[in-house]
Amino acid sequence: MKTNSKKKILPLIIGAVILLALPFVAQMITGNDYWVLILCTMLIYVIAVSGLDILFGYSGQISLGHASFYVIAAYTTGLLNNYFNIPLFITIPCGAILAALLGAALAYPASRLKFHFLSLATVAFGEITYYFLYTSPGGFTNDYKGINIRSIPFLEGSYTKWYFWLLLWAIIFVVAKIFIVNSRTGRAFIAIRENTHAADGMGVNVQKYKILAFAISAFYVGFAGTMYAHLYKYISPETARQKQSVLFLTMMLFGGSGSIVGSMIGVVIIEILLELIRPLQEYQMLLYGILLLIVIIALPGGIVGGVRDVMADRAKRKLQKEGEGGAQNG
Amino acid sequence: MADIVKDEILAQEETDKAIAKEAELQAAGGKAEDDKAHPVVLETRGVTIQFGGLTAVDHASIKVRKGLITALIGPNGAGKTTLFNAVSGVYIPTSGEVLLNGEHLEGKRGFQINEAGISRTYQVINLFRSMTVLENVMVGMHTRLKSNFWSDLFNSKKKREEDAEAREKAFEWLKFVGLDEYANSPAGSLSYGKQRLLEIVRGLASDPQVILLDEPAAGMNSTEKLELDALLKQILNMGYTILIVEHDMKLIMNISDYIYVLYHGALLAEGTPEEIQANPDVIAAYLGGEDDVI
Repeated sequence: MKTNSKKKILPLIIGAVILLALPFVAQMITGNDYWVLILCTMLIYVIAVSGLDILFGYSGQISLGHASFYVIAAYTTGLLNNYFNIPLFITIPCGAILAALLGAALAYPASRLKFHFLSLATVAFGEITYYFLYTSPGGFTNDYKGINIRSIPFLEGSYTKWYFWLLLWAIIFVVAKIFIVNSRTGRAFIAIRENTHAADGMGVNVQKYKILAFAISAFYVGFAGTMYAHLYKYISPETARQKQSVLFLTMMLFGGSGSIVGSMIGVVIIEILLELIRPLQEYQMLLYGILLLIVIIALPGGIVGGVRDVMADRAKRKLQKEGEGGAQNG
Repeated sequence: MADIVKDEILAQEETDKAIAKEAELQAAGGKAEDDKAHPVVLETRGVTIQFGGLTAVDHASIKVRKGLITALIGPNGAGKTTLFNAVSGVYIPTSGEVLLNGEHLEGKRGFQINEAGISRTYQVINLFRSMTVLENVMVGMHTRLKSNFWSDLFNSKKKREEDAEAREKAFEWLKFVGLDEYANSPAGSLSYGKQRLLEIVRGLASDPQVILLDEPAAGMNSTEKLELDALLKQILNMGYTILIVEHDMKLIMNISDYIYVLYHGALLAEGTPEEIQANPDVIAAYLGGEDDVI
């Protein structure tokens, strides 16, 4: 037992040291703050993609409109703060909670839809959000120009401070995800994903849990959206478009859905790839397309799924070898 | 010394006689005795299920008594599984009543009926394939666990305790059917017969008043069937009540206490296995163009 916990603690300590040193190392190597900002963006995406994974990877529902929740929460915190001067520690949770409520409201009718119809419904939801923000009644969202948003006062001006603030939240959200998926609620989600019919027969209120998954997922993405808005101090309707939703989906599928680390790996790798091809920005969607095709054809479980398969294969072979050896000895 | 042994033998003979007498009384006692020892738990009254113009089940009234195995048989397409689905909430009966201890169940959804105390297995295996064997049983306990979203989110002490307890209980269930060594394997990796066993314990994990078994022996080999036979008797001894649909007549005649025969959606006959086997209508129904033979 003791050695077991020691074995678990050592990688944890190494991981913590790396995470703490990362912004300083990035600054030292590049000589500026740019990659710290990228690290901050990664942490925001980790929260968002983890949330999407609760919906897709665990409860088996698809959403191609999750950028809506991201943007709606961002506008909520930005507008409440801009118009009414409400402090950010109130407007940020307001944004995330509104996203969760809208998620539940969308899921209520959508929970009866089959997979492909659900995906269409969420695409429509994304488009509605975009056009609403683009031409809002009375122009209160400043339409296509987007809105300027204040930074969080005690973080303003330092991406390193932002990094540690976001690291804290990313850890909180990931730990919460671990708790949720390893519980009665999480088992209900997975049961619905695996066999909706049998889940109902075993006493799982399928509609309730589908709505709950949508709300949790929208809360994650919404919170990430508020952080994005305050970090970049700007949000525009453009972010609500398909591109952003597909980015989340690509990250999740590439890393491996239905997995805690999968979401993180997907975010890190794809964000780095995007930075490397930044000069070819028009080709971003092409990159997503190619990556999605690779995942769907060659790596259906994403990177995590692929590693899992290789390990299972090895264990199987080892067992077979041992079995053969035992048979020869006998 | 010899006297004592003789006395003991005499005493033994006397108790044996008493037991035999009791059994005789029970057999002859008829309905009144039956009601006391085995009250009706689940009852359908005139359940009719129509799909468009087709009547799949026509005024079926059956009674399931506590602590007994009640069987539902009939040729293919007789409406057995449809009636099952109406009881378990997959279909809503067009008319008629479904009662569990006097509580109306018709029109309720599947999860509500499970919560009320009816659990089931499926004709086509419906496991949560990529979940572990143990987790499958834990999903079966869903309605009996109290933790909710908030206690799950904050991983409260109560939730952790309940989870640990549930895990242990689920493991006990796996031991009961001999699946404990597969506890952490994905359910989809089990052999067919073992998957059937897992479905049964997943159903039992909610501690139901009645468990509905839809062709549990389908696809089992003869050894597995013998094991199933013993298992069902064991489940009965634990105080559970079983309603079973099955094609394997040998198994049904061996284990059932009471049998209902469905034919073209309507009840053709009911009675003990002996009565059913001797019933000319049943024999005609089975020999009249169907493959099944009693």
